Amino acid sequence: MAHGFKRSARERRVVARLDETERTIVVGLMEQVLDLIHPPVQPLAQPEGDTGAGSRDPFEEIVAGLGDVDTSVPAGPDAPDLADVPDTPEELGGRGFGVPAPRDPALDRLFPTADRQDEQAAAEFRRLTEPGLRSRKADNLRLSVTALRGAHRDRVELSEGEASAMLVALTDVRLVLGERLGLRSDEDAARIDELLDDLDRDDPVAYAIAVYDFLTWLQESLVHALSA
Amino acid sequence: MRHPILEGVSIAPVEEERVEVGDRVDPDVPWITIVWNDPVNLMSYVTYVFESYFGYAREKAEKLMLDVHTKGRAVVSTGPREKMEIDTEALQGYGLWATFQKDV
Repeated sequence: MAHGFKRSARERRVVARLDETERTIVVGLMEQVLDLIHPPVQPLAQPEGDTGAGSRDPFEEIVAGLGDVDTSVPAGPDAPDLADVPDTPEELGGRGFGVPAPRDPALDRLFPTADRQDEQAAAEFRRLTEPGLRSRKADNLRLSVTALRGAHRDRVELSEGEASAMLVALTDVRLVLGERLGLRSDEDAARIDELLDDLDRDDPVAYAIAVYDFLTWLQESLVHALSA
Repeated sequence: MRHPILEGVSIAPVEEERVEVGDRVDPDVPWITIVWNDPVNLMSYVTYVFESYFGYAREKAEKLMLDVHTKGRAVVSTGPREKMEIDTEALQGYGLWATFQKDV
C-alpha cells in the first residue's frame, strides 16, 4: 500500500512510501517520456531478431502512442455542443500551430503553440524555446528517476529541489498518458473513470487508466506536501 | 519623465528616437499571457505554479486557477511582449498550456 508524499519531520524534505512495483511503473513511464522528448540516437538497422514495436507489451505501446486506444463514446443528445465553447485553442491555432510537419500529438501537448494568432511567430517562438524546454523537462525526469531508484526500504525521500523536479516530471508523464487516453476536455476526464468500470480488468486500457489515476493521486499528495 | 528646465535640450532616451514599424512597439498596447484549461493539470498544481512562479498570494493564485477551470482561460500576466514570452515559456516548462498575445 503506497503512502503519498508528506513533509518529513526533517525540515525541507518530503517523503513517500512506494513499493518496488509502484516505483518500477513510475520509473518506466518517466523513461518512456524521456525517450519521447530526448530521443536516443537509434541505429538505422534493427538488430537481428528484434521485432521492434511488436515486442513491446500492450501498455508500453499505449504510452508510446502505438496502442489501439479508443476511449471515445458516440456523442449523444446530452453531449456538450463544442460550437458553444468560445475561443478554444482548437478553434484558432491548434496545439501544433506553427509546427512545420505533423508530429506525435503528445509532443504538441508538451510543447504547445505559444501564439495562436500568428503562425510565423508561433514557429519562431517554438524554434527559440523548444530545445531549452526539452532539456529542462529531461533534467526533471532524470532527477526523478534517480530519486526513485535511490529509495531505501520503499522510502522515497526528496530534497526541495528534487520534489519540484518530480512535480513537473509527474505532470509531463500525466500529460503524455492523458493524451494517449484521448483526454481533451474535463468531460473526457470524468468519462474515463466510468469507462474503467466497464472494462475487463486485463484490458491494457483499464491498466493505463488505473496507472493514470495512481499518478494523479501521487502528484496531488506531492503538491499538498509542498504547499503545506 | 522630462524635467521642464531641460525643455529643448535633447536628453531623450535612444529608444524614443528609434523609428520602428509593426505593432510590437506600440507601448500603449500591453501584451498578455493566457493559461488555458486542460483536463490533466490538477487544480492544486495550477495554483502552486501561479504561487511559485509569479509569487502571487494564495488567494490571487486560486482565483486565477478557478478562472482557468470555469471560464476556460485566464490572463495571468500583463506587460511588454518580451516579458510575456518569458512567462509563456516558463509556464509551458511547468506543463501548463500557456500562450501570449497582444491585449485587444
